[in-house]
Amino acid sequence: MARLELNNLHAEVAEGDEKILEGVNLEVRSGEIHALMGPNGSGKSTTAKVIAGHPAYEVTDGEVLLHLEDEEFGEDIEIDEDQRTWNLLDLEPNERAALGIFLGFQYPAEIEGVTMTNFLRTALNAKIEEREELFEDEDGEADAEEDDEGFENSPMEGDVDEGEVGVAEFQQILQEKMEQLDMDEKFAQRYLNAGFSGGEKKQNEVLQAAILEPSVAVLDEIDSGLDIDRLQDVSSGINALRDEQGTGILQITHYQRILDYVEPDHVHVMLDGQIAKSGGPELAEKLEDKGYDWVREEVYGTA
Amino acid sequence: MSAGTQVHANLTEEQVREISGDLGEPDWLTETRLEALAALEELEMPDVIRTPGRDWTNLHELDFESLVDPLNAAENKDQVGPDEADVLSWTEAVDEHEELLKEHFGSIVDPQENYLTALSTALFSTGTVIYVPEGVDAEDVAIRTEQNSRSLFNYTLVVTEESSSVTILERQSTGEDSEARSASSSASGDEPRAADEQYYSGIVEVAAGENSYVQYGSLQNLSEEAYNFTVKRGVTDTYATIDWIEGNLGTQLTKTEVSTELRGDSSETQIVGAFYGHNDQHFDLDAKVWHRAEHTTADLVTRGVTDDIARSVYEGVQDVGSDAWDTSSYQRENTLMLSDESEADASPKLIINNHDTEASHSATVGQIDKEDLFYMTSRGVDPRAARNMLVEGFFVPVLEEVDVDELRDDLTELIGARLRQRD
Ligand SMILES: Nc1ncnc2c1ncn2[C@@H]1O[C@H](COP(=O)(O)OP(=O)(O)OP(=O)(O)O)[C@@H](O)[C@H]1O
Ligand SMILES: [Mg+2]
Repeated sequence: MARLELNNLHAEVAEGDEKILEGVNLEVRSGEIHALMGPNGSGKSTTAKVIAGHPAYEVTDGEVLLHLEDEEFGEDIEIDEDQRTWNLLDLEPNERAALGIFLGFQYPAEIEGVTMTNFLRTALNAKIEEREELFEDEDGEADAEEDDEGFENSPMEGDVDEGEVGVAEFQQILQEKMEQLDMDEKFAQRYLNAGFSGGEKKQNEVLQAAILEPSVAVLDEIDSGLDIDRLQDVSSGINALRDEQGTGILQITHYQRILDYVEPDHVHVMLDGQIAKSGGPELAEKLEDKGYDWVREEVYGTA
Repeated sequence: MSAGTQVHANLTEEQVREISGDLGEPDWLTETRLEALAALEELEMPDVIRTPGRDWTNLHELDFESLVDPLNAAENKDQVGPDEADVLSWTEAVDEHEELLKEHFGSIVDPQENYLTALSTALFSTGTVIYVPEGVDAEDVAIRTEQNSRSLFNYTLVVTEESSSVTILERQSTGEDSEARSASSSASGDEPRAADEQYYSGIVEVAAGENSYVQYGSLQNLSEEAYNFTVKRGVTDTYATIDWIEGNLGTQLTKTEVSTELRGDSSETQIVGAFYGHNDQHFDLDAKVWHRAEHTTADLVTRGVTDDIARSVYEGVQDVGSDAWDTSSYQRENTLMLSDESEADASPKLIINNHDTEASHSATVGQIDKEDLFYMTSRGVDPRAARNMLVEGFFVPVLEEVDVDELRDDLTELIGARLRQRD
């Protein structure tokens, strides 16, 4: 069980003083599905990026906490009592990823020259390694020494064979997950998102989540640009994350459509950098019908 | 004004005759060398790239007098290739292919084009001649030179007959414990010369016969104390293709030109460049194509990285002649700056004298994309590894053009190693 907690989160653009988030409160637990909705420009993506540690934003107040339980990362990694709560704002993006945060981007980057396979295996191994470092206890030092020795023996090996998950093992994992998402295996050797269609990119974000097995996944408009078949594939991918990994999902969306497949436990409406209203799945349906004005009216007393 | 450093004042006809004689050259070659020597007095340094208000490369500052040591050339050289083609050392070529040399030597790069080509012609003591007979496909010719002396002057000639093909790698490095790296004890001057500096000079001529294909790849990985001047130029016959791969990693200063004259109808060329400068390295890189026939195609693609206080200046020229009907000519240059203090300039130039031309040219100088980096780190990759992957990925489109595995693998490895050296 993990729990992501946003308390009174205030954030602005790092270069400049434009305030975007003005006191966001939100809690997402393992196994829960939350939908975050709200008009364009209300701060949904910014919330997602601040959680993941995007350098463009400066947090001016509030906190982002991640609470873990003892066996969050399996039996091999012992999480001491004093290592159960992490202040994510003190950590680098890759450290947050190691603790189980995943951000599915509204606009995924296209990266020329780096194959999907290479990238994902690197990410998976980096995550495992970083996790070991973060939870290293007193015996950890001995482990580290061993590692150093191994490294001295083959300093120039490069990235090819390095890492917990070897090439062959990774191929297996990748192939399996791609099949589950009904993705063509040719994508494995393509460059990361380069020349992918809009829908393919979104599908690829879910694939990456499936491989990295996050504790909490923030999925920013994962449903935009998906055709009907892909929407179903992606939805079952998200449901599988929740059902099989116990991942908590924070799903940012504008449409009811995906929520028919990925049924939210909670729905939140963001207005002007705050969560203005929360409710159950029926709230999303009402928004679909009536738009946001009534929420605004309810909250501010004006439209 | 002629060259600022009057190295020729110390060079003598006797030295040139001695070099030529040791190589067993016929009189006409000795004469060509002596003419080049005599011309030094009048010749100018090669053009360097200038941007408004700035001369990027100052060849006049080079202390040629101390760098050039004509009679003490030393190297380790491999010259290998498949049996069907001739891959000959210069002396072998002089013995076996005099007619070929007579026809081509100095016909593509005029020995007296400038001061440094003339110096190279007068003094070269080593070289390779690659001759590919009609219809032969020769893969993986390799010329590996390890420079072990203060200066080394090299000459390479590639001749392909009709419907043949050849892929070549020519690479240079500096010997580890060579004389070139040993402490200075100048034999000729009282000036204390900079201890570890070397000078490598190379001229490459490629004559691609009808319907033949040449890929000539270069991997310059000389010591970072070295200076390097090279001119590589090819001429195409009808339907011929010349592809250049120009890899630059070493030296403190490199001045190169890679160029093709598309002289045959329907001939093609590609000039692919990759460079990575760090510390205080300086690269001055020219890519040029002259469209001088009908239906010709050129594609110029260079990608490079500058780090620390390194500088790169690139100029690419696509020159479409008035008779070059139906020309296609494309050029792209991208430089990635890894540090704030490094500098890069790129100017793609298009000269069109025949408007039946489809052409494009672009150049960008930028930094690693922060969104790309965040995308990768947010997935768990640490920032350093993410940066390295992005830089390695940046070179991939260039590496994909390389036919010779040794060149692609070693270039990849050297780039990776240089990146991993970095914080
Ligand atoms: N890096 C930035 N620089 C300047 N302004 C920014 C930056 N990032 C976000 N903003 C501004 O902050 C506000 C919130 O943006 P955000 O992307 O979080 O909205 P959103 O709720 O995700 O909208 P959409 O539904 O359109 O995706 C917008 O007005 C946006 O222009
Ligand atoms: Mg958004």
